[in-house]
Amino acid sequence: MKLKAGLLLVIVAVFTLEATFIIQYHYSQREIKKEASLRAASELKSAENKIMDVVNQAEAAVRNSIWVAEWCLETPDSLERIPQRIVSENPVVVGSTMALVPGYSEKYPLYAPYAMRDGETGKIKMLSLATEEYNYPASEWFTKPIELDDSYWSEPYFDENGGDILMTTFSMPVKDKNGKIAAVVTADISLEWLAELIERMKVYPNAFNMVVSRNGNIMVCTVENLTMKATIDQIALESDDYKALDRVNKAMLAGQYGEMPVKYQGEINHVYFAPVERTGWSLSIVLPEKDLYSGVRRMAMNVQLLQLLGLVMIIIILRVVARNRAKYQHINEQKERIENELHIAREIQMSMIPKTFPPFPERKDLDLAASIIPAKEVGGDLYDFFIRDEKLFFCIGDVSGKGIPASLVMAVTRSLFRAISAHEDSPAKIVTSMNNSMSESNERSMFVTFFCGILDLSAGKLSYCNAGHNPPMILTDAIRMLPVEPNLPLGIMKGMDFIEQETPFLYDDALFLYTDGLSEAENATHEQFGEERIEKALHGRKRSADHLENIRQQVSHFVGNAPQSDDLTMLFIHYLAHVVPTQQERHLELHNDIKQISLLAEFIETIAKEKQLDESLAMNLNLALEEAVTNVILYAYPKDTDGLVDVDAILKEHSLEFIITDSGVPFDPTAAPEADVTLSADERPIGGLGIFMVRKLMDEVHYQRHNDKNVLKMTKNI
Amino acid sequence: MIINIEKTNDMTIAHLAGRLDTPASTEVAPTFEQLNDAANGMVVLDCTELVYISSSGLRLFLALRKASTAKGGKVIVRNISNSIRQVFMMTGFLNLFEIE
Repeated sequence: MKLKAGLLLVIVAVFTLEATFIIQYHYSQREIKKEASLRAASELKSAENKIMDVVNQAEAAVRNSIWVAEWCLETPDSLERIPQRIVSENPVVVGSTMALVPGYSEKYPLYAPYAMRDGETGKIKMLSLATEEYNYPASEWFTKPIELDDSYWSEPYFDENGGDILMTTFSMPVKDKNGKIAAVVTADISLEWLAELIERMKVYPNAFNMVVSRNGNIMVCTVENLTMKATIDQIALESDDYKALDRVNKAMLAGQYGEMPVKYQGEINHVYFAPVERTGWSLSIVLPEKDLYSGVRRMAMNVQLLQLLGLVMIIIILRVVARNRAKYQHINEQKERIENELHIAREIQMSMIPKTFPPFPERKDLDLAASIIPAKEVGGDLYDFFIRDEKLFFCIGDVSGKGIPASLVMAVTRSLFRAISAHEDSPAKIVTSMNNSMSESNERSMFVTFFCGILDLSAGKLSYCNAGHNPPMILTDAIRMLPVEPNLPLGIMKGMDFIEQETPFLYDDALFLYTDGLSEAENATHEQFGEERIEKALHGRKRSADHLENIRQQVSHFVGNAPQSDDLTMLFIHYLAHVVPTQQERHLELHNDIKQISLLAEFIETIAKEKQLDESLAMNLNLALEEAVTNVILYAYPKDTDGLVDVDAILKEHSLEFIITDSGVPFDPTAAPEADVTLSADERPIGGLGIFMVRKLMDEVHYQRHNDKNVLKMTKNI
Repeated sequence: MIINIEKTNDMTIAHLAGRLDTPASTEVAPTFEQLNDAANGMVVLDCTELVYISSSGLRLFLALRKASTAKGGKVIVRNISNSIRQVFMMTGFLNLFEIE
């Protein structure tokens, strides 16, 4: 494993992630700060509006009473109506007085009737502020408007008369006709609503808000212990960032709008502030930076954690990959070895079956070709053939399953076939013996579909036995499936009986055997090659090897790129012998001339002599042959054309078989109606006797149209 | 196949010798025509030396028999061998002819 590459990958990942993170963090912070600033400004504005609302009400209450107050100066006893009216008509006003300048009235040197709303009942109480301990002429709310000759908002203070309520007072001077200040009219407003207001203004959990008076007194503050107990100046002195706080203090006292960072108790706080008109107050929001960025910090932490996790994952994956590569390498080596062994196994397997073609170059009566196209691994298909006693023994089979087990079973099957067929001439007996052997020791329950055939090369006869294999194609005048008994495959059950079948196999006949690797070869769309395509592919005269090559090409074309899933095995047997007479067979060739009929007598005579037949039987055979051959000569060939009539006699121990073959027009003599021999001479037709006699004289008469030939087979039991 | 025809006052005797197979039947067809002409009287087919007869031969026999019936004559088959008798039996000819 290239450790360097892995390390490089990790480093690049770290850098990319970090860079992305930092940029994103920076932008987030900026956005958050902008957002906080906007939010604070909007909160401050909204609070200011609300404060101004109250302030305006209180101011209006006083201003609107001024003219009445001026008027009342004449009659001091009526003065108390002024504060009473101010309080009763203005809910924001909790108390009001009209205090005369000392000495203005002769009757009352000090006079200040005070109206206040009782907190519990809401009723208006009248008090007098003209007491010695209160000494109103010294109060700020009294002195300042006179001094300024203008309205004035007092510093907040705790009112001793109306309970411990923090309040502030708006006061205005009242002048007499001479323009001399005669009295001061006031309206008190409680600052409790202000506390509630700024409490509601809290935009961040750890932020705090306050209202500072024009002297720097903290009027209200969401941090309880600061209310009315400190000035910003005092706080600034305690602070470790005096300069910054002092700057804030000054800006606030100067009635400015602003935003400033201040270090306080080791933490950076952002102070947003705005003035409240006329009152000289300054509203402010103090926002600790950790609060401001807590969201983005939390997010940053999560992102970092995730990144760390990702890195750990990358490292783990790299390690696993590195380890697996080593493992795969090992597995690959093993796989190669197994494949190599499988290759050897396949070579051994292939060496068991005959694969030199043509296998019998000296024989002119047989053209045989076979092939196995193996699937990827060793398979269980087999074929075999050999000639013994002028008989071609052949077989084809397909072992269930694939791989080494199947190929071992295939080897066993092939050995059994060779061993048993060395001394056995019946396919059914061979198959039965093989089945018994294989069923005995078949613990893995593997079975073999098997077709065994014996072609008697001298007699043109095919005997065969099918054990669950797909039927071969027989090519005579037409191409069709060889009729087979299904029977069970080999290796399933001991003691099974297998049925043997037989068919004539004449000159130019052929047999095509194959395994399901051919019929079930699939193309990419899972369509199978099928028997119809096989049949079509077999048309036309070719050498056996060319037939197989043609089919191979067609399958390959059909299958395309789809992988071959099963062995594909084919065996093509083309029989090219005219049946050669042996001791037991006789042949006579006639032309389609009536005169040739006489030769039959001689032919029968030699057979009669050989088989020691009595005269009467010989005559009957002669008769039957003559009638049959006459029919052919008269009806099968058109007039004046030359044609041959072959007469074959097969002499068996208990029967004589005569086969009359001609290449004339299809003519089935056995289809003629039977002659009625009971009729009178007049009624009897002249013809129709011939085939009637053949039927009577022979034990079996059978007609077949085969390879464009009329074949009449007649059997006489002896 | 040889046929010797012997004519007497009251009958025509044909001596058949050899094999009356299909080619022979074609060969002797004209001779049988003669016999058919004489079928108004008695015709004897002497088969003492006839060794073989096929359906073509039988057809000649049958034709003669039909001519004879038409002309009011008579056909006698004489001295057939056992094997030919079997053929006659098999084909129902035994009933069509007078066998001596």
